[in-house]
Amino acid sequence: MKRKKFPKKKKATSNIQFYLILVIIFLLSFAISYVLLKPHRNIPHCANSGSCKSDLYFKIENNVPGVFEGKKVYAPTINPQNEKPEKVLGIATPSAEKRIFVDLSTQTLIAYQGSTQILKTFVSTGKWQATPTGNFHIWEKLLSTRMTGGEGADAYDLPNVPYVMYFYNDFGLHGAYWHDNFGHPMSHGCVNLRQTDAKTLYDWADGPNGNTPGTEVSICDQITSDHQCIQNNPVQ
Amino acid sequence: MTIKHQIEIDSVIILLLAAAAGFIVAYFVTHNTVQNKVSLPVVANFQDSNPTPNLIPTSTLIISVTPIPKPQVTSQLSPDGTKQLTMTVNTQSDQSKTYNFVTSNIDGTNLQTVYSINYPSNSDSMSIPFNTWSPDNNYVFITHTNPAGNEAIVLKADGSPIDVDASLNETVLFKAQNTADFYAETTGWASDTLLIINTKTTDGSQGTSYWFEVPTKAVIPLATQF
Repeated sequence: MKRKKFPKKKKATSNIQFYLILVIIFLLSFAISYVLLKPHRNIPHCANSGSCKSDLYFKIENNVPGVFEGKKVYAPTINPQNEKPEKVLGIATPSAEKRIFVDLSTQTLIAYQGSTQILKTFVSTGKWQATPTGNFHIWEKLLSTRMTGGEGADAYDLPNVPYVMYFYNDFGLHGAYWHDNFGHPMSHGCVNLRQTDAKTLYDWADGPNGNTPGTEVSICDQITSDHQCIQNNPVQ
Repeated sequence: MTIKHQIEIDSVIILLLAAAAGFIVAYFVTHNTVQNKVSLPVVANFQDSNPTPNLIPTSTLIISVTPIPKPQVTSQLSPDGTKQLTMTVNTQSDQSKTYNFVTSNIDGTNLQTVYSINYPSNSDSMSIPFNTWSPDNNYVFITHTNPAGNEAIVLKADGSPIDVDASLNETVLFKAQNTADFYAETTGWASDTLLIINTKTTDGSQGTSYWFEVPTKAVIPLATQF
C-alpha cells in the first residue's frame, strides 16, 4: 500500500511545481512585456539637468553671455526696480479663479480668469525632452534665474531667464530671449513664451500664498473643439 | 513518440501558452491609456442688447458709390515687446495692392520703411509671421505667397540694405545643398542670425530642416526636424 501511495505524492508535488513554474512564466512574461510595451513619455525629474538640483532660486546676472545650441547668446539686462507689474484690465469678475491651459498639439497657451480669456499666444514646449501633461499649480515664481543643462552640442547655459513660473519640479513657464520660434517645440521640457507674453502672465498669475496653492496650470495633449483638455498618461 | 514525450510536449505548450497569456495581458494593460479630461471655461457669447438703430429714413434717396477700400494694417511685436513691424496694404482702384512694411519702437517713434512692393493682381499676397523678429531685434522676415509657392524675405530691421540673397525659397536650398527637398516654410529664429527652414519631400512628407545663417548665407542641414 505504501509503495502504491508514494508515486501519487510525488505526482502531486510534481504538479504543484509545474503550476508554480506556469505562474512564474506568466508573471515573467507579463513583466517583460509590460516594460517593453509601456508607452514612454520619458519625463525625467528635471527639465534642466544642470541647474535643477542646485539653482532653483532668484538670480540676476547682467552682462553675462549664455550659450544655446552652440551659439553665444546675450541675456537681457534685468533691473528689479524697473519691473512694474501691469494689471490686466477688463476682467468681469476679478476674484474669479485663474487658470492656465497649454495645448501641446497646437503649441498655444490660453489663460482664463473665470470665463474671461486673459491671454492666448503661441509657446514652445519640449522638443529635446517632453513636457509633462497633467494638472499642476505654480509652486514658485522667480523674476529671473539661470538655467543650465543638456550635453555636448545640446548643452545650454542661460543666465537671466525671465519671468519663471515653476509648476512641476523645475518644469516651468518662462520667457525665452534666445530664440523666436514660438508655435513650434523648442525647449527641454519647459514652456517657453515670448518675453512680453511671459511678463503679462507673470504679473497676472499667482504663486503659492500660505495654504493657497498658486495658479493652476493644465498641460494638455490636445484641446478639443468642445473645450476639453485631453491628457494622456498625465504625471499627476 | 512515447507517452513521456507526449507529456513533455504538452507541458512545453502549456508553458508557452502561459507566456503568451502574460504578453497579451501586458499588451492590454499598457495600451489602456489613462486619459484625463478637463473642461475649459466656455467664454459666454457677447450678446448685443442695444442693436444699432436703422438711421436711414425710408424716403431718403440712396446713391450707390464704389467704396474706396481702407488700408489694411497689421502688426507684430518683437519678442521683448519693444519694437513692432507694421504692414499696410493699400488696394488701388485697379485692384492692385501695395504692401508697405515699417519698423518702429512700440511707442511709434523711430519709423523705418524696410520694404515696399506693388502686386498687380490678387494672386500675390504678403504677411507678417508671428516669429518675424530675430531675438536681438536686428532682422525681420516676411512671407510672400503666390500660386507657385511661398518664400520668406529677410530684411534688416533698421531699413539698411541686406547684402545677401534676401529670399528664402527652393532656389536657395538647391543652390546650397543640391537637395531634392522642396521649401515648405520658414518657421522662425533659432538664434539671433539663424532662420529655421522646413522642407517637404516629393511625396509631401516632412523633409530635412535647415538653418539659414543670415550674415554668411550658409544653409546648414539639421539632424532633427523642426
